[in-house]
Amino acid sequence: MTPGTIEFLLAFADDEHLMGQQHTEWIGIAPFLEEDMAFASIAQDELSHAALLYSIVADSGEGGEPDDQVINRLAFDRSAAEYRSAQIVEVACTEWAHALVRHWLYDTAEDLRWSLVKQSELESLRDAAAHAAREERFHIRHADGLIDVLLRTPDSAKRLADAVGELLPLATGLFDPASGEAEAIEAGVASAPFDTLLPEWADRVQTRFPDIDIGSISAPAFTGRMYRHDDFAVLITRINSVRGIDPTAVW
Amino acid sequence: MGRTWSSMNEFEAFLNEGGMVEVDDDMPDEYRATVFRFIELHANSELMGGLTERDWIPMTPGLRHKMTVLAKTQDEIGHGHLLYMVAADLGIKTRREMIEDLFAGRSRFHNVFHYPVRTWGDQVAICLLVDGAAVPSQKAVYKDCSYGPYKRILKRIIAEEGFHLRLGEERVLRISQGTDAQRAMFQQSINDWWWPALRLFGPDSKPDDKLARWRLKSEKNEVMRAGWVQKFVPMLHSYGFTIPDPGLTHDPETDTWTCGPIDWEPLKRTMAMDGPDTARRIAEASTAWETTQWVRNALDAAPAGVIA
Repeated sequence: MTPGTIEFLLAFADDEHLMGQQHTEWIGIAPFLEEDMAFASIAQDELSHAALLYSIVADSGEGGEPDDQVINRLAFDRSAAEYRSAQIVEVACTEWAHALVRHWLYDTAEDLRWSLVKQSELESLRDAAAHAAREERFHIRHADGLIDVLLRTPDSAKRLADAVGELLPLATGLFDPASGEAEAIEAGVASAPFDTLLPEWADRVQTRFPDIDIGSISAPAFTGRMYRHDDFAVLITRINSVRGIDPTAVW
Repeated sequence: MGRTWSSMNEFEAFLNEGGMVEVDDDMPDEYRATVFRFIELHANSELMGGLTERDWIPMTPGLRHKMTVLAKTQDEIGHGHLLYMVAADLGIKTRREMIEDLFAGRSRFHNVFHYPVRTWGDQVAICLLVDGAAVPSQKAVYKDCSYGPYKRILKRIIAEEGFHLRLGEERVLRISQGTDAQRAMFQQSINDWWWPALRLFGPDSKPDDKLARWRLKSEKNEVMRAGWVQKFVPMLHSYGFTIPDPGLTHDPETDTWTCGPIDWEPLKRTMAMDGPDTARRIAEASTAWETTQWVRNALDAAPAGVIA
Protein backbone atom coordinates (compact mmCIF):
# COMPACT_ATOMS: atom_id res chain seq x y z
CA MET A 1 0.00 0.00 0.00
CA THR A 2 1.47 3.37 -1.03
CA PRO A 3 1.92 6.24 1.45
CA GLY A 4 -0.70 8.23 -0.45
CA THR A 5 -3.29 5.48 -0.12
CA ILE A 6 -2.48 5.17 3.57
CA GLU A 7 -3.02 8.89 4.05
CA PHE A 8 -6.28 8.71 2.10
CA LEU A 9 -7.54 5.86 4.30
CA LEU A 10 -6.37 7.52 7.52
CA ALA A 11 -8.33 10.67 6.69
CA PHE A 12 -11.48 8.58 6.30
CA ALA A 13 -10.71 6.54 9.43
CA ASP A 14 -9.98 9.63 11.53
CA ASP A 15 -13.29 11.20 10.51
CA GLU A 16 -15.20 8.06 11.42
CA HIS A 17 -13.31 7.68 14.68
CA LEU A 18 -13.83 11.21 15.91
CA MET A 19 -17.44 11.34 14.71
CA GLY A 20 -18.17 8.17 16.69
CA GLN A 21 -16.28 9.62 19.64
CA GLN A 22 -18.37 12.78 19.60
CA HIS A 23 -21.60 10.76 19.54
CA THR A 24 -20.52 8.84 22.65
CA GLU A 25 -20.85 12.08 24.62
CA TRP A 26 -24.63 12.04 24.20
CA ILE A 27 -25.57 8.72 25.75
CA GLY A 28 -27.58 9.46 28.88
CA ILE A 29 -28.13 13.16 28.25
CA ALA A 30 -30.01 13.17 24.93
CA PRO A 31 -33.56 14.60 25.00
CA PHE A 32 -35.25 11.23 25.59
CA LEU A 33 -34.30 7.62 26.16
CA GLU A 34 -34.76 6.52 22.56
CA GLU A 35 -32.23 9.17 21.52
CA ASP A 36 -29.72 8.04 24.12
CA MET A 37 -29.87 4.62 22.52
CA ALA A 38 -29.89 5.90 18.94
CA PHE A 39 -26.78 8.03 19.43
CA ALA A 40 -25.11 5.08 21.15
CA SER A 41 -25.93 2.83 18.18
CA ILE A 42 -24.72 5.30 15.62
CA ALA A 43 -21.56 5.92 17.63
CA GLN A 44 -20.88 2.19 17.66
CA ASP A 45 -21.34 2.02 13.88
CA GLU A 46 -18.97 4.93 13.24
CA LEU A 47 -16.33 3.55 15.60
CA SER A 48 -16.72 0.20 13.90
CA HIS A 49 -16.13 1.81 10.48
CA ALA A 50 -13.05 3.51 11.91
CA ALA A 51 -11.76 0.19 13.24
CA LEU A 52 -12.29 -1.40 9.80
CA LEU A 53 -10.44 1.41 8.04
CA TYR A 54 -7.56 1.46 10.52
CA SER A 55 -7.30 -2.31 10.19
CA ILE A 56 -7.03 -1.99 6.41
CA VAL A 57 -4.15 0.45 6.93
CA ALA A 58 -2.55 -1.87 9.46
CA ASP A 59 -2.99 -4.99 7.39
CA SER A 60 0.45 -6.41 6.81
CA GLY A 61 -0.73 -8.37 3.80
CA GLU A 62 0.12 -11.61 5.55
CA GLY A 63 -3.49 -12.47 6.34
CA GLY A 64 -5.25 -12.39 9.66
CA GLU A 65 -6.91 -9.42 11.25
CA PRO A 66 -4.68 -6.81 12.95
CA ASP A 67 -5.06 -6.97 16.71
CA ASP A 68 -6.56 -4.24 18.85
CA GLN A 69 -3.22 -2.82 19.91
CA VAL A 70 -2.20 -2.15 16.31
CA ILE A 71 -5.52 -0.45 15.60
CA ASN A 72 -5.28 1.54 18.83
CA ARG A 73 -1.84 2.85 17.97
CA LEU A 74 -3.22 4.26 14.72
CA ALA A 75 -6.34 5.61 16.37
CA PHE A 76 -4.76 7.16 19.45
CA ASP A 77 -0.98 7.42 19.34
CA ARG A 78 -0.34 9.81 16.45
CA SER A 79 0.56 13.44 17.01
CA ALA A 80 -2.04 16.15 16.32
CA ALA A 81 -0.17 17.04 13.12
CA GLU A 82 -0.48 13.46 11.89
CA TYR A 83 -4.26 13.31 12.14
CA ARG A 84 -6.17 13.97 8.92
CA SER A 85 -9.63 14.51 10.38
CA ALA A 86 -11.96 17.27 9.20
CA GLN A 87 -12.67 20.03 11.68
CA ILE A 88 -16.40 19.21 11.74
CA VAL A 89 -15.62 16.04 13.72
CA GLU A 90 -13.16 17.84 15.99
CA VAL A 91 -15.38 20.69 17.10
CA ALA A 92 -17.24 20.25 20.40
CA CYS A 93 -21.03 20.36 19.98
CA THR A 94 -22.48 20.94 23.42
CA GLU A 95 -25.97 21.81 22.17
CA TRP A 96 -28.16 18.97 21.01
CA ALA A 97 -29.34 20.93 17.95
CA HIS A 98 -25.72 21.12 16.85
CA ALA A 99 -25.12 17.45 17.55
CA LEU A 100 -28.17 16.51 15.48
CA VAL A 101 -27.28 18.82 12.58
CA ARG A 102 -23.69 17.58 12.56
CA HIS A 103 -24.98 13.99 12.57
CA TRP A 104 -27.12 14.75 9.48
CA LEU A 105 -24.43 16.73 7.62
CA TYR A 106 -21.79 14.12 8.37
CA ASP A 107 -23.85 11.06 7.49
CA THR A 108 -25.12 12.62 4.29
CA ALA A 109 -21.50 13.22 3.25
CA GLU A 110 -20.42 9.82 4.51
CA ASP A 111 -23.05 8.09 2.40
CA LEU A 112 -21.55 9.74 -0.70
CA ARG A 113 -18.00 8.99 0.46
CA TRP A 114 -18.57 5.25 0.75
CA SER A 115 -20.05 5.23 -2.77
CA LEU A 116 -16.62 6.21 -4.08
CA VAL A 117 -14.96 3.10 -2.70
CA LYS A 118 -17.69 0.52 -3.26
CA GLN A 119 -15.81 -0.76 -6.32
CA SER A 120 -12.37 -0.31 -4.83
CA GLU A 121 -9.47 -2.47 -5.91
CA LEU A 122 -9.01 -3.16 -2.20
CA GLU A 123 -11.34 -6.05 -1.41
CA SER A 124 -11.46 -5.22 2.31
CA LEU A 125 -12.49 -1.65 1.51
CA ARG A 126 -15.21 -2.88 -0.88
CA ASP A 127 -16.54 -5.12 1.88
CA ALA A 128 -16.43 -2.26 4.37
CA ALA A 129 -18.32 -0.02 1.94
CA ALA A 130 -21.09 -2.57 1.46
CA HIS A 131 -21.36 -2.98 5.22
CA ALA A 132 -21.36 0.75 5.92
CA ALA A 133 -23.85 1.63 3.18
CA ARG A 134 -26.51 -0.51 4.86
CA GLU A 135 -25.95 1.29 8.16
CA GLU A 136 -25.81 4.79 6.69
CA ARG A 137 -29.36 4.49 5.39
CA PHE A 138 -30.54 4.06 8.97
CA HIS A 139 -28.38 6.89 10.27
CA ILE A 140 -29.80 9.35 7.77
CA ARG A 141 -33.33 8.11 8.29
CA HIS A 142 -32.88 8.65 12.02
CA ALA A 143 -31.67 12.22 11.64
CA ASP A 144 -34.29 13.01 8.97
CA GLY A 145 -37.12 11.76 11.17
CA LEU A 146 -36.20 14.17 13.93
CA ILE A 147 -35.41 17.09 11.67
CA ASP A 148 -38.76 16.66 9.90
CA VAL A 149 -40.53 17.26 13.18
CA LEU A 150 -38.21 19.91 14.61
CA LEU A 151 -38.43 22.09 11.50
CA ARG A 152 -42.20 22.43 12.03
CA THR A 153 -41.88 24.47 15.23
CA PRO A 154 -40.39 28.01 15.08
CA ASP A 155 -38.20 27.68 18.17
CA SER A 156 -36.69 24.35 17.21
CA ALA A 157 -36.41 25.34 13.53
CA LYS A 158 -34.39 28.39 14.55
CA ARG A 159 -32.08 26.30 16.71
CA LEU A 160 -31.45 23.98 13.78
CA ALA A 161 -30.91 26.90 11.40
CA ASP A 162 -28.38 28.45 13.76
CA ALA A 163 -26.59 25.13 14.00
CA VAL A 164 -26.50 24.75 10.21
CA GLY A 165 -25.11 28.26 9.87
CA GLU A 166 -22.34 27.56 12.33
CA LEU A 167 -21.46 24.04 11.25
CA LEU A 168 -21.82 24.09 7.48
CA PRO A 169 -18.45 25.78 6.79
CA LEU A 170 -16.69 23.17 8.90
CA ALA A 171 -18.71 20.33 7.36
CA THR A 172 -17.61 21.42 3.89
CA GLY A 173 -14.13 20.52 5.06
CA LEU A 174 -15.13 16.84 4.89
CA PHE A 175 -14.56 17.16 1.14
CA ASP A 176 -11.08 18.63 1.64
CA PRO A 177 -8.83 15.96 0.09
CA ALA A 178 -5.96 14.51 2.03
CA SER A 179 -2.79 14.74 -0.02
CA GLY A 180 -2.85 11.05 -0.91
CA GLU A 181 -6.24 11.09 -2.60
CA ALA A 182 -4.90 11.36 -6.17
CA GLU A 183 -2.57 8.44 -5.52
CA ALA A 184 -5.43 6.39 -4.08
CA ILE A 185 -7.52 7.08 -7.19
CA GLU A 186 -4.58 6.18 -9.41
CA ALA A 187 -4.29 2.86 -7.56
CA GLY A 188 -8.00 2.14 -8.00
CA VAL A 189 -8.67 2.41 -4.26
CA ALA A 190 -11.27 5.13 -4.89
CA SER A 191 -13.13 5.93 -8.08
CA ALA A 192 -13.06 9.76 -8.02
CA PRO A 193 -12.07 12.73 -5.85
CA PHE A 194 -14.49 13.21 -2.98
CA ASP A 195 -15.00 16.88 -3.80
CA THR A 196 -16.61 15.93 -7.13
CA LEU A 197 -19.60 15.00 -4.94
CA LEU A 198 -19.62 18.32 -3.08
CA PRO A 199 -22.30 19.83 -5.38
CA GLU A 200 -24.56 16.83 -4.80
CA TRP A 201 -24.07 17.09 -1.03
CA ALA A 202 -24.79 20.85 -1.20
CA ASP A 203 -28.02 20.09 -3.11
CA ARG A 204 -29.04 17.62 -0.42
CA VAL A 205 -28.28 20.18 2.30
CA GLN A 206 -30.32 22.83 0.50
CA THR A 207 -33.26 20.45 0.03
CA ARG A 208 -33.11 19.43 3.69
CA PHE A 209 -32.94 23.00 4.94
CA PRO A 210 -34.88 24.98 2.32
CA ASP A 211 -35.09 28.16 4.41
CA ILE A 212 -31.32 28.53 4.55
CA ASP A 213 -29.45 30.04 1.61
CA ILE A 214 -26.43 27.83 1.72
CA GLY A 215 -24.82 29.76 -1.12
CA SER A 216 -24.45 32.68 1.27
CA ILE A 217 -22.42 30.68 3.74
CA SER A 218 -18.74 30.90 2.96
CA ALA A 219 -16.57 27.87 3.54
CA PRO A 220 -12.86 28.06 4.37
CA ALA A 221 -10.36 27.15 1.66
CA PHE A 222 -9.16 23.56 1.55
CA THR A 223 -5.81 22.95 3.24
CA GLY A 224 -5.34 19.22 2.79
CA ARG A 225 -6.67 18.61 6.32
CA MET A 226 -3.42 19.84 7.83
CA TYR A 227 -4.89 22.01 10.57
CA ARG A 228 -6.72 20.89 13.68
CA HIS A 229 -9.67 22.73 15.19
CA ASP A 230 -9.06 24.53 18.48
CA ASP A 231 -11.19 21.91 20.25
CA PHE A 232 -8.98 19.04 19.07
CA ALA A 233 -6.45 19.32 21.91
CA VAL A 234 -9.13 18.93 24.58
CA LEU A 235 -10.77 16.12 22.63
CA ILE A 236 -7.61 14.05 22.17
CA THR A 237 -6.54 14.61 25.77
CA ARG A 238 -9.91 13.33 26.93
CA ILE A 239 -9.70 10.33 24.58
CA ASN A 240 -6.24 9.39 25.85
CA SER A 241 -6.69 10.19 29.54
CA VAL A 242 -6.87 6.53 30.64
CA ARG A 243 -4.37 5.22 28.10
CA GLY A 244 -1.98 7.93 29.24
CA ILE A 245 -1.88 6.61 32.80
CA ASP A 246 0.37 3.78 31.72
CA PRO A 247 1.37 3.58 28.04
CA THR A 248 2.45 -0.05 28.46
CA ALA A 249 -0.88 -1.20 29.88
CA VAL A 250 -3.37 -3.41 28.04
CA TRP A 251 -6.92 -2.78 29.24
CA MET B 1 -60.74 -5.67 31.32
CA GLY B 2 -59.11 -8.86 32.56
CA ARG B 3 -59.78 -10.79 35.70
CA THR B 4 -61.20 -9.45 38.94
CA TRP B 5 -60.94 -10.66 42.53
CA SER B 6 -63.56 -9.97 45.17
CA SER B 7 -61.09 -9.63 48.06
CA MET B 8 -57.39 -9.50 48.90
CA ASN B 9 -57.72 -13.03 50.30
CA GLU B 10 -59.00 -14.28 47.00
CA PHE B 11 -56.23 -12.43 45.15
CA GLU B 12 -53.55 -13.86 47.42
CA ALA B 13 -55.00 -17.34 46.98
CA PHE B 14 -54.62 -16.79 43.23
CA LEU B 15 -50.99 -15.77 43.75
CA ASN B 16 -50.38 -18.75 46.07
CA GLU B 17 -51.53 -21.08 43.35
CA GLY B 18 -48.91 -19.63 41.02
CA GLY B 19 -51.22 -17.22 39.20
CA MET B 20 -49.75 -14.57 36.94
CA VAL B 21 -51.19 -11.05 36.98
CA GLU B 22 -51.49 -9.17 33.69
CA VAL B 23 -51.75 -5.44 33.05
CA ASP B 24 -55.46 -5.45 32.21
CA ASP B 25 -56.40 -7.42 35.34
CA ASP B 26 -58.32 -5.54 38.02
CA MET B 27 -55.56 -6.12 40.59
CA PRO B 28 -55.86 -4.78 44.18
CA ASP B 29 -54.64 -1.19 44.47
CA GLU B 30 -52.01 -2.12 47.04
CA TYR B 31 -50.53 -4.78 44.76
CA ARG B 32 -50.59 -2.36 41.81
CA ALA B 33 -48.82 0.35 43.85
CA THR B 34 -46.24 -2.09 45.20
CA VAL B 35 -45.43 -3.54 41.79
CA PHE B 36 -45.23 -0.05 40.36
CA ARG B 37 -42.83 1.19 43.05
CA PHE B 38 -40.67 -1.89 42.61
CA ILE B 39 -40.42 -1.52 38.83
CA GLU B 40 -39.96 2.27 39.05
CA LEU B 41 -37.03 1.75 41.43
CA HIS B 42 -35.56 -0.80 39.04
CA ALA B 43 -36.06 1.51 36.02
CA ASN B 44 -34.56 4.50 37.85
CA SER B 45 -31.58 2.40 38.86
CA GLU B 46 -30.94 1.18 35.32
CA LEU B 47 -31.02 4.77 34.07
CA MET B 48 -28.84 6.12 36.88
CA GLY B 49 -26.48 3.19 36.33
CA GLY B 50 -26.17 4.26 32.70
CA LEU B 51 -25.51 7.83 33.80
CA THR B 52 -22.89 6.61 36.26
CA GLU B 53 -21.05 4.80 33.50
CA ARG B 54 -21.51 7.36 30.74
CA ASP B 55 -18.94 9.80 32.08
CA TRP B 56 -16.10 7.41 31.35
CA ILE B 57 -17.19 6.06 27.97
CA PRO B 58 -15.40 8.73 25.92
CA MET B 59 -12.18 7.86 27.79
CA THR B 60 -12.35 4.10 27.23
CA PRO B 61 -8.78 2.96 26.48
CA GLY B 62 -9.31 1.23 23.14
CA LEU B 63 -11.36 1.66 19.98
CA ARG B 64 -13.16 -1.69 19.96
CA HIS B 65 -13.21 -1.66 23.74
CA LYS B 66 -15.13 1.61 23.54
CA MET B 67 -17.73 0.01 21.28
CA THR B 68 -18.25 -2.74 23.85
CA VAL B 69 -18.57 -0.34 26.76
CA LEU B 70 -20.93 1.82 24.77
CA ALA B 71 -23.08 -1.19 23.99
CA LYS B 72 -23.20 -2.12 27.66
CA THR B 73 -24.37 1.32 28.75
CA GLN B 74 -26.83 1.36 25.87
CA ASP B 75 -28.23 -1.89 27.29
CA GLU B 76 -28.60 -0.35 30.75
CA ILE B 77 -30.50 2.63 29.42
CA GLY B 78 -32.49 0.28 27.21
CA HIS B 79 -33.47 -1.68 30.32
CA GLY B 80 -34.62 1.57 31.90
CA HIS B 81 -36.62 2.32 28.76
CA LEU B 82 -38.39 -1.06 28.81
CA LEU B 83 -39.04 -0.92 32.54
CA TYR B 84 -40.46 2.60 32.40
CA MET B 85 -42.95 1.43 29.78
CA VAL B 86 -43.97 -1.57 31.87
CA ALA B 87 -44.32 0.68 34.93
CA ALA B 88 -46.25 3.35 33.00
CA ASP B 89 -48.78 0.73 31.85
CA LEU B 90 -49.82 0.36 35.48
CA GLY B 91 -51.43 3.79 35.17
CA ILE B 92 -49.89 5.50 38.20
CA LYS B 93 -47.32 7.76 36.53
CA THR B 94 -46.30 8.36 32.93
CA ARG B 95 -42.74 7.68 31.83
CA ARG B 96 -42.00 11.39 31.75
CA GLU B 97 -43.38 11.88 35.26
CA MET B 98 -41.15 9.09 36.53
CA ILE B 99 -38.05 10.58 34.89
CA GLU B 100 -38.88 14.07 36.13
CA ASP B 101 -39.44 12.76 39.66
CA LEU B 102 -36.07 11.02 39.46
CA PHE B 103 -34.22 14.09 38.24
CA ALA B 104 -35.95 16.26 40.86
CA GLY B 105 -34.75 13.93 43.61
CA ARG B 106 -38.31 12.83 44.44
CA SER B 107 -37.85 9.13 43.74
CA ARG B 108 -35.19 6.65 44.62
CA PHE B 109 -32.57 4.60 42.87
CA HIS B 110 -30.19 1.91 44.09
CA ASN B 111 -27.47 2.84 46.57
CA VAL B 112 -24.51 2.03 44.30
CA PHE B 113 -25.36 4.83 41.90
CA HIS B 114 -25.02 7.46 44.61
CA TYR B 115 -21.22 7.05 44.55
CA PRO B 116 -18.68 8.90 42.38
CA VAL B 117 -16.77 7.06 39.68
CA ARG B 118 -13.28 8.45 40.15
CA THR B 119 -11.16 6.22 37.95
CA TRP B 120 -11.35 3.77 35.08
CA GLY B 121 -10.87 1.08 37.72
CA ASP B 122 -14.17 2.15 39.27
CA GLN B 123 -15.86 1.71 35.91
CA VAL B 124 -14.54 -1.85 35.76
CA ALA B 125 -15.43 -2.54 39.40
CA ILE B 126 -19.04 -1.55 38.67
CA CYS B 127 -19.10 -3.92 35.71
CA LEU B 128 -17.90 -6.78 37.94
CA LEU B 129 -19.24 -6.18 41.44
CA VAL B 130 -22.44 -4.24 40.76
CA ASP B 131 -23.52 -6.21 37.71
CA GLY B 132 -22.47 -9.26 39.70
CA ALA B 133 -24.98 -8.26 42.37
CA ALA B 134 -27.67 -7.25 39.88
CA VAL B 135 -27.77 -10.62 38.15
CA PRO B 136 -28.69 -12.76 41.20
CA SER B 137 -31.10 -10.08 42.44
CA GLN B 138 -32.91 -9.98 39.12
CA LYS B 139 -32.93 -13.75 38.80
CA ALA B 140 -34.55 -13.92 42.22
CA VAL B 141 -37.33 -11.65 41.00
CA TYR B 142 -37.70 -13.38 37.64
CA LYS B 143 -37.81 -16.92 39.03
CA ASP B 144 -41.35 -16.78 40.38
CA CYS B 145 -42.48 -13.25 39.51
CA SER B 146 -46.25 -12.84 39.77
CA TYR B 147 -46.49 -9.83 37.43
CA GLY B 148 -46.39 -11.11 33.86
CA PRO B 149 -45.14 -8.03 31.96
CA TYR B 150 -42.26 -7.57 34.40
CA LYS B 151 -41.28 -11.23 34.27
CA ARG B 152 -41.15 -11.20 30.47
CA ILE B 153 -38.96 -8.07 30.39
CA LEU B 154 -36.68 -9.48 33.09
CA LYS B 155 -35.89 -12.48 30.93
CA ARG B 156 -34.20 -10.23 28.39
CA ILE B 157 -32.60 -7.98 31.00
CA ILE B 158 -31.02 -10.92 32.83
CA ALA B 159 -29.61 -12.33 29.59
CA GLU B 160 -27.95 -8.99 28.82
CA GLU B 161 -26.71 -8.49 32.38
CA GLY B 162 -25.05 -11.88 32.09
CA PHE B 163 -23.02 -10.55 29.15
CA HIS B 164 -22.10 -7.47 31.16
CA LEU B 165 -20.85 -9.61 34.01
CA ARG B 166 -18.70 -11.66 31.64
CA LEU B 167 -17.34 -8.41 30.22
CA GLY B 168 -16.46 -7.34 33.75
CA GLU B 169 -14.72 -10.66 34.40
CA GLU B 170 -12.68 -10.36 31.21
CA ARG B 171 -11.64 -6.80 32.01
CA VAL B 172 -10.60 -7.70 35.55
CA LEU B 173 -8.61 -10.66 34.23
CA ARG B 174 -6.70 -8.35 31.87
CA ILE B 175 -6.05 -5.82 34.64
CA SER B 176 -4.93 -8.56 37.01
CA GLN B 177 -2.31 -9.56 34.45
CA GLY B 178 -1.41 -5.95 33.81
CA THR B 179 1.05 -3.40 35.10
CA ASP B 180 1.57 -2.24 38.69
CA ALA B 181 -0.32 0.98 37.92
CA GLN B 182 -3.33 -0.96 36.65
CA ARG B 183 -3.37 -3.32 39.61
CA ALA B 184 -3.01 -0.49 42.13
CA MET B 185 -5.85 1.41 40.49
CA PHE B 186 -8.13 -1.61 40.57
CA GLN B 187 -7.27 -2.50 44.17
CA GLN B 188 -8.38 1.00 45.17
CA SER B 189 -11.60 0.49 43.22
CA ILE B 190 -12.29 -2.77 45.07
CA ASN B 191 -11.67 -0.92 48.32
CA ASP B 192 -14.18 1.77 47.32
CA TRP B 193 -16.88 -0.38 45.70
CA TRP B 194 -16.86 -3.63 47.72
CA TRP B 195 -19.14 -2.43 50.49
CA PRO B 196 -21.54 -0.36 48.38
CA ALA B 197 -22.00 -3.36 46.06
CA LEU B 198 -22.50 -5.73 48.99
CA ARG B 199 -25.08 -3.40 50.53
CA LEU B 200 -27.02 -3.44 47.24
CA PHE B 201 -28.74 -6.63 48.48
CA GLY B 202 -30.13 -4.73 51.47
CA PRO B 203 -30.47 -5.84 55.10
CA ASP B 204 -31.70 -9.33 55.98
CA SER B 205 -35.22 -10.00 54.67
CA LYS B 206 -38.07 -9.74 57.14
CA PRO B 207 -40.18 -12.85 57.76
CA ASP B 208 -43.38 -11.09 56.70
CA ASP B 209 -41.88 -9.55 53.55
CA LYS B 210 -44.77 -8.49 51.34
CA LEU B 211 -42.60 -8.70 48.24
CA ALA B 212 -41.98 -12.38 48.97
CA ARG B 213 -45.64 -13.06 49.78
CA TRP B 214 -46.70 -11.53 46.48
CA ARG B 215 -43.97 -13.37 44.60
CA LEU B 216 -41.98 -10.31 43.57
CA LYS B 217 -38.94 -11.82 45.26
CA SER B 218 -38.17 -15.48 45.63
CA GLU B 219 -34.92 -15.31 47.58
CA LYS B 220 -33.89 -13.73 50.85
CA ASN B 221 -31.46 -10.81 50.74
CA GLU B 222 -29.01 -12.52 53.07
CA VAL B 223 -28.89 -15.64 50.91
CA MET B 224 -28.14 -13.63 47.77
CA ARG B 225 -25.54 -11.56 49.61
CA ALA B 226 -23.81 -14.66 50.91
CA GLY B 227 -23.71 -16.09 47.38
CA TRP B 228 -22.14 -12.89 46.08
CA VAL B 229 -19.44 -12.95 48.77
CA GLN B 230 -18.78 -16.60 48.02
CA LYS B 231 -18.37 -15.87 44.32
CA PHE B 232 -16.20 -12.75 44.43
CA VAL B 233 -13.88 -13.32 47.39
CA PRO B 234 -12.14 -16.36 45.85
CA MET B 235 -12.16 -14.77 42.39
CA LEU B 236 -10.46 -11.57 43.52
CA HIS B 237 -8.07 -13.44 45.82
CA SER B 238 -7.04 -15.65 42.92
CA TYR B 239 -6.09 -12.51 40.98
CA GLY B 240 -3.99 -11.30 43.90
CA PHE B 241 -6.37 -8.59 45.14
CA THR B 242 -7.43 -8.09 48.74
CA ILE B 243 -10.93 -7.62 50.15
CA PRO B 244 -11.47 -4.55 52.38
CA ASP B 245 -13.26 -6.52 55.10
CA PRO B 246 -11.23 -7.16 58.29
CA GLY B 247 -14.07 -9.36 59.58
CA LEU B 248 -14.07 -11.67 56.55
CA THR B 249 -13.84 -15.32 57.62
CA HIS B 250 -13.26 -18.58 55.83
CA ASP B 251 -14.53 -21.98 56.90
CA PRO B 252 -12.01 -24.45 55.48
CA GLU B 253 -14.30 -27.42 55.99
CA THR B 254 -17.06 -26.04 53.79
CA ASP B 255 -14.76 -23.66 51.86
CA THR B 256 -17.22 -20.89 52.66
CA TRP B 257 -16.45 -17.19 52.95
CA THR B 258 -18.53 -15.03 55.29
CA CYS B 259 -18.37 -11.25 55.45
CA GLY B 260 -17.83 -9.32 58.66
CA PRO B 261 -20.33 -6.96 60.32
CA ILE B 262 -22.07 -4.67 57.82
CA ASP B 263 -22.44 -0.95 58.47
CA TRP B 264 -25.88 -0.03 57.15
CA GLU B 265 -25.57 3.71 57.75
CA PRO B 266 -24.27 4.47 54.23
CA LEU B 267 -27.27 2.61 52.78
CA LYS B 268 -29.64 4.68 54.91
CA ARG B 269 -28.02 7.86 53.68
CA THR B 270 -28.42 6.87 50.03
CA MET B 271 -32.05 5.90 50.72
CA ALA B 272 -32.47 9.44 52.07
CA MET B 273 -30.94 10.78 48.81
CA ASP B 274 -27.85 11.89 50.69
CA GLY B 275 -25.11 9.70 49.26
CA PRO B 276 -21.57 10.87 48.46
CA ASP B 277 -22.41 11.83 44.86
CA THR B 278 -26.22 12.07 44.95
CA ALA B 279 -26.55 15.83 44.65
CA ARG B 280 -24.09 16.19 41.78
CA ARG B 281 -25.52 13.23 39.88
CA ILE B 282 -29.09 14.47 40.17
CA ALA B 283 -28.14 18.07 39.37
CA GLU B 284 -26.25 17.09 36.21
CA ALA B 285 -29.06 14.85 34.99
CA SER B 286 -31.61 17.52 35.76
CA THR B 287 -29.65 20.22 33.92
CA ALA B 288 -29.21 18.02 30.86
CA TRP B 289 -32.93 17.23 30.90
CA GLU B 290 -33.88 20.91 31.12
CA THR B 291 -31.54 21.98 28.33
CA THR B 292 -33.22 19.59 25.91
CA GLN B 293 -36.77 20.50 26.92
CA TRP B 294 -37.19 22.35 23.62
CA VAL B 295 -36.92 19.06 21.72
CA ARG B 296 -39.67 17.42 23.75
CA ASN B 297 -41.81 20.54 23.38
CA ALA B 298 -41.46 20.38 19.61
CA LEU B 299 -42.33 16.69 19.54
CA ASP B 300 -45.34 17.29 21.79
CA ALA B 301 -46.53 20.02 19.45
CA ALA B 302 -46.26 17.83 16.36
CA PRO B 303 -49.59 16.68 14.95
CA ALA B 304 -50.40 12.99 15.22
CA GLY B 305 -48.91 11.03 12.37
CA VAL B 306 -45.90 13.29 11.83
CA ILE B 307 -43.72 11.16 14.05
CA ALA B 308 -43.29 7.83 12.34
